[in-house]
Amino acid sequence: MKTFMFSLDTALKSLWQEKWINFLTILSVATGLLILSIFSVISLNADAVVKRWASEFGMIIYLDDSADRTTEERLQREFTNDPDIAQVKFISKNEAMKDLQNTLGENSSILEHVDENPLPASFEISFKNKNLDSLYVKKKTALIEKMSGVTDIQYAEKWLSSLSIVSALLKAGVIILGSAIVIAIVFITYNTIKIFFYRRRSEIETLKLLGATRTFIRLPFLLEAIFIGMAAGLLSAAALFGIHFFVTNKLPNFLPAVSMLKIILPAVVYLILPLAGAAVSFTGSFIAVGKIRY
Amino acid sequence: MIRFSNVTKQYDNDVVLKNLSLNVDKGEMVYLTGPSGAGKSTLLKLIYCAERPDIGQITVANWDIGKIKQSTIPFLRRNVGIVFQDFRLLENKTVFENIALALRIHNLNTQTIREQVNAVLREVKLSQKAKTYPPHLSGGEQQRVVIARAMVSKPTVLLADEPTGNLDDDTSNSIIALFREINARGTTVVIATHNHELYHGTGRRVLHLNNKNIEQESIG
Repeated sequence: MKTFMFSLDTALKSLWQEKWINFLTILSVATGLLILSIFSVISLNADAVVKRWASEFGMIIYLDDSADRTTEERLQREFTNDPDIAQVKFISKNEAMKDLQNTLGENSSILEHVDENPLPASFEISFKNKNLDSLYVKKKTALIEKMSGVTDIQYAEKWLSSLSIVSALLKAGVIILGSAIVIAIVFITYNTIKIFFYRRRSEIETLKLLGATRTFIRLPFLLEAIFIGMAAGLLSAAALFGIHFFVTNKLPNFLPAVSMLKIILPAVVYLILPLAGAAVSFTGSFIAVGKIRY
Repeated sequence: MIRFSNVTKQYDNDVVLKNLSLNVDKGEMVYLTGPSGAGKSTLLKLIYCAERPDIGQITVANWDIGKIKQSTIPFLRRNVGIVFQDFRLLENKTVFENIALALRIHNLNTQTIREQVNAVLREVKLSQKAKTYPPHLSGGEQQRVVIARAMVSKPTVLLADEPTGNLDDDTSNSIIALFREINARGTTVVIATHNHELYHGTGRRVLHLNNKNIEQESIG
């Protein structure tokens, strides 16, 4: 504990003595964290939008005209018991006709001359969100098409496929960008701590000769890096809060469409940013201090 | 306390010490002398494990220098005080802080550190300079701070590499007197010097290092 307190004191003094280089490091790390968090928020919101749209995605299964009541009940049972299907709605031939009449409204008189109802009975089903990738839906379609009594299936394959690709690309983008930013932050803190380590090399040599352990020598540098990372994280969290506030409260005054976005920004992000900053800076400084040899 | 058995040390192809053996007893004060480049500093470095022997065995207070692990070296060095010709004081720390550093490494509390540092400052007659920074001290005062730093943690061995190299005769004598006081309390002292005035008439053992080995042993 005494060693920790001494290291803390040394780290705080160094933070003040080297305030300009520390300030620039904090600013650089904060910028990196802010860019990363903005992209993560965009990805998170895009994902939410995709899921919301996807939840409204449905598939219409048309039945053969020859399908009798037993076939309809069997299919209803099979769809209801399928664990991947969220909702099942049966539309009989008569209901389909009524829907069409309602849709045509005043023009429904054109149907008066139709003797026999040409519309097929159908099932409208929707899948559970977790299964909504295009490959899965394709496989499911192939299985349903083979069922006895089913004549045709309609679903927005291309639309679903595009949604999946956009969502996957955004996630991949965030991972690639995130990795690049993390490496950049590690490199920035590595350089800063390396400079401090180099400036204090004579002090470190003296400490080694006096019998200081590796922990005693390293700890001030590691603590300093943690402070830098945390300060950068807090700065980026404050900037993110400001941007979020501006986008949700001020921007709609100029761009009303923005208010429809319903931006999701979990509060935990404000906690994650300083912790992530500290962890990444710690990694950089740990590499910078390196293996101390006596 | 310090034992060298057939030690050879070389840097690349340059043999500095060859087949050297010596023994320094507990509580002894020994002078190590010889021309520049004779290997005095290397011999001291081998004692505090800044170097390792290529051949032979070295033991310092029961530590085997050839086999000691990197992680154990700090604990050896806490038992070996070192005084350098170039002082190696931290210029951004006061005299008090420089000496206290040796005790902070031992994880002592602030009160104990204060008491022990003040006590050692009285011994080296530098109590008035506790808050002074090293650049504002004379060479002799700086060397006394270094000795205070080396002795504050009560090491069993004290090594001094040319401790009076940059000092005038009077100051040198006062520094040597300080080493004698430390030795009188039971600390083993090894002083490397090429200045024969320092050991002349002391009645202490003098080891003459030359041609990669102890060429001669005499009483000063």
